[in-house]
Amino acid sequence: MNADEWLRAFAAELRQRRVRDDDARHVVAEAATHLRDGGGDPAVVFGLPGRYAAAIAESIGATPPPVPAAPGPVRLHARGITKRYGRRTVLRDAGLTVRAGQIAAIVGANGCGKSTFLRICAGLISPDAGEVTVTGRLGYCPQQGGTADFLLPDEHFVLVGAGGGLARGPARRAGRAAARKLGWDAPGDVLTRHLSGGTRQKLNLTMSTLTEPDVLLLDEPYQGFDRGTYVDFWDQLGRLRDAGRAIVVVTHLLNQLDRVDLVLDLTPAGGTVRDGDAGWGGRA
Amino acid sequence: MDIERRGQWLRGVLDLCVLGLLRDRESYGYQLAQALEAAGIGSIQGGTLYPVLLRLQRTGLVSAQWREGAAGPARKYYRITDLGRAELRRGGQDWLAFVAPVTGLVTERVDG
Repeated sequence: MNADEWLRAFAAELRQRRVRDDDARHVVAEAATHLRDGGGDPAVVFGLPGRYAAAIAESIGATPPPVPAAPGPVRLHARGITKRYGRRTVLRDAGLTVRAGQIAAIVGANGCGKSTFLRICAGLISPDAGEVTVTGRLGYCPQQGGTADFLLPDEHFVLVGAGGGLARGPARRAGRAAARKLGWDAPGDVLTRHLSGGTRQKLNLTMSTLTEPDVLLLDEPYQGFDRGTYVDFWDQLGRLRDAGRAIVVVTHLLNQLDRVDLVLDLTPAGGTVRDGDAGWGGRA
Repeated sequence: MDIERRGQWLRGVLDLCVLGLLRDRESYGYQLAQALEAAGIGSIQGGTLYPVLLRLQRTGLVSAQWREGAAGPARKYYRITDLGRAELRRGGQDWLAFVAPVTGLVTERVDG
């Protein structure tokens, strides 16, 4: 069994033992980091996936299965969305309904219209047919390019905060606090163009959550994230979901570690919503 | 060394060893395993170490945070808490009180 296979088996065993999703993600990521640092046969380093999972479950104190939260009010309702570019139909009659306290994933092959669908939901482009209703405040995080090279991270926070009616000080504090939740201590004196791609993406993401939107639209916001940040990212989404936000994430790969309530598959001939069976603890 | 006996001893003191290593600086799992080996404790596999770290975390003796290091990828860093320092003092004294008579007893008779 190679490291990836072992980690997958380990994740499945943790899930079976009802280890909380957040705890499991941390433990799996930590084991992956350890194997990368030290090499070695995972079966020797950690033992059999099942036995190690049992030891972890015991150390953590496993929790009973969560009681499904009652779905909140509908925050985002898109129906009959059709979009054509020239003669090419990118989206045909696509729809999605997300309630407060839900995470929806939009998946599908490259070029199937995931970002287009999200941009239509955000009101950035118009569909040729169909309509979108958003209830509450909207936050949108583009795939890239949402940051300004010659501004400091703090100035981004102030700018976005001003749009939401926040004063400079509170906006800066809120931005830095949100950044820390992604494991990033936003520096006060580094221009954005000197930040790495992954860090710019953290800034992007931080801006979209700064004004505590009711509906959060994220377009593959984790490009350039390392594994630890990726774990923090999904933890943060879980917290926002539990706080009653409606979240839509465009993603080209739905990791089995990701926890979502709904999946919209835009692959042509798909276009259907299914329950969040790809993530464990899917609570659709 | 008798592997089974060594395992039994370790189970009793590995948490104290980890707290001892964390007393002066934070660290992550793989680095702790290396430090334990360098200290002469022997090779501690991840399968033994991480459950101990989780228990220390759950009982509030250490805190943990994912962070990128100065160089390299993000890791889960562990840091001792005030509660952990108190436990290190207390548990450490208990250990010393325990091994002193054992050492005394055994030392006189081990050569014969």
